[in-house]
Amino acid sequence: MSSDFEAYEQDFGTLTAEITNKIGRIPKLGGEEKTQLVLNVDKQLEEVRELMEQMDLEVREIPIQSRGMYQNRLKSYKGEMEKLEKDFKRSRIAYSDEVRNELLGEDAGSSESQLIKLREERAHLLDNTEKLERSSRRLEAGYQIAVETEQVGQEILANLHTDREKIQRSRDRLRETDANLGKSSRILTGMLRSFTNTPPQLSPIYVSLLSLLSMSLSYLCLSAISPIYVSLLTLLSMSLS
Amino acid sequence: MDNSGKEKEASALMAEAEKKLKSSQSFFGALFGGSSKVEEACDMYARAANMYKMAKNWSAAGNAFCQAARLHLQVQSKHDAATNFIDAGNAFKKADPQEAINCLNRAIEIYTDMGRFTIAAKHHISIAEIFETELVDIDKAIAHYEQAADYYKGEESTSSANKCLLKVATYAAQLEQYQKAIEIYEQVGTNAMDSTLLKYSAKDYFFKATLCHFCVDMLNAKLALQKYEEMFPAFSDSRECKLVKKLLDAYEEQNVEAYTDAVKEYDTISRLDQWLTTMLLRIKKTIQDDESDLR
Repeated sequence: MSSDFEAYEQDFGTLTAEITNKIGRIPKLGGEEKTQLVLNVDKQLEEVRELMEQMDLEVREIPIQSRGMYQNRLKSYKGEMEKLEKDFKRSRIAYSDEVRNELLGEDAGSSESQLIKLREERAHLLDNTEKLERSSRRLEAGYQIAVETEQVGQEILANLHTDREKIQRSRDRLRETDANLGKSSRILTGMLRSFTNTPPQLSPIYVSLLSLLSMSLSYLCLSAISPIYVSLLTLLSMSLS
Repeated sequence: MDNSGKEKEASALMAEAEKKLKSSQSFFGALFGGSSKVEEACDMYARAANMYKMAKNWSAAGNAFCQAARLHLQVQSKHDAATNFIDAGNAFKKADPQEAINCLNRAIEIYTDMGRFTIAAKHHISIAEIFETELVDIDKAIAHYEQAADYYKGEESTSSANKCLLKVATYAAQLEQYQKAIEIYEQVGTNAMDSTLLKYSAKDYFFKATLCHFCVDMLNAKLALQKYEEMFPAFSDSRECKLVKKLLDAYEEQNVEAYTDAVKEYDTISRLDQWLTTMLLRIKKTIQDDESDLR
């Protein structure tokens, strides 16, 4: 009797192992294979149930004293079988991965495609950051150049201011010189007239003086004229006339 | 150009000129147109000096010019004398700076006698430059720049005067005569504010004035900054003003890193020149000293 029971136990063990194996494979497969596997598992579950019934009958035939141990074993086997059935049912519903793959394309693994997408996005973002950095560097360089230009402009303006004053001063001095020259030429013409009016007074000293004066006048046009010479001329003219 | 040949010519000319001089001093020469002999001698000296210049014999050229100048003084033609002294000074600049300064000083005396202050001021600046570069004597350089500025002010050329004053202020600040520097910068800044041409430089002057205040005392700097902002509103927008405010804050908190960071930030945009770096370093040292005192 007990040997039968043990034989049944062994069969039970092998069958449950196969069933768990197949249940593990069911979610990954799809279509015809799946239905075949499902039918297989169904059949095997039927066999397991028959085994259980036979084990039950055997246990009943065993005398009551030693029945306890076998009954415990039987209970555990029944629990296992129920669990297997539950798993089986769940595996038939666990479509998630295969269906996703069918829907979204022939990718061998969904996680890989996600990784690739992530990598692409990362490259995009890095590109953008680089572009931003490049533009900010260019802006800074442009700002530096603008500041330098401003400094150069400041210097130029200061130089212009100095030059302006110099030009104004030279202009004033030139006007003065011009006025003095005009005066002295008038005086000289006056002297000439007084000469032509009073010829007997013609003496070589005066002639030489006059020539010297006119020469010095032309020489002084080049350097700065001072009023001293003009006053000298006026004195002379007064003494002559 | 045969330089050695020129030198020989030049020395020959000099010898001739000396002979002429001697002959003119004799009794005979003095009677009959001694003055023209002296003038001819002057001319010969000048030509000899030019030839020495071509031969690059600067000290000989300078000497020749000096001789010519002295002769001109004898005949009372001050202008020519002064021009020859200036030429001598230029020639000596390349050989013997001290002699150059002597010649230039004599030229300046003649010009100030004649009342030509502008030219005198220009030559004061040349002397000051020699003191800056060749004989490094900053005090004398400052003195000459000040003289030049005074003469320019007398001749109503405020711009040139301001240029000289700025140099005085830079050196004064370097020599830690902060009060002088502050006065000058404030004065120049206020002048610049009003002129359309110069107002863009005004903020720079106020910045330097604030830095000098800072070197003396932090409270001074704060008050000065407020004063300048009131006077010149555009100053508060400038980067320099922002930098000074950051420095003041860092100083109050005695935070050396904040100070360094602010300075570095300013430096990335516009480089700090020598003077600014020296000033900022001095201020930084005072912060570090205070910190170590507290510890």
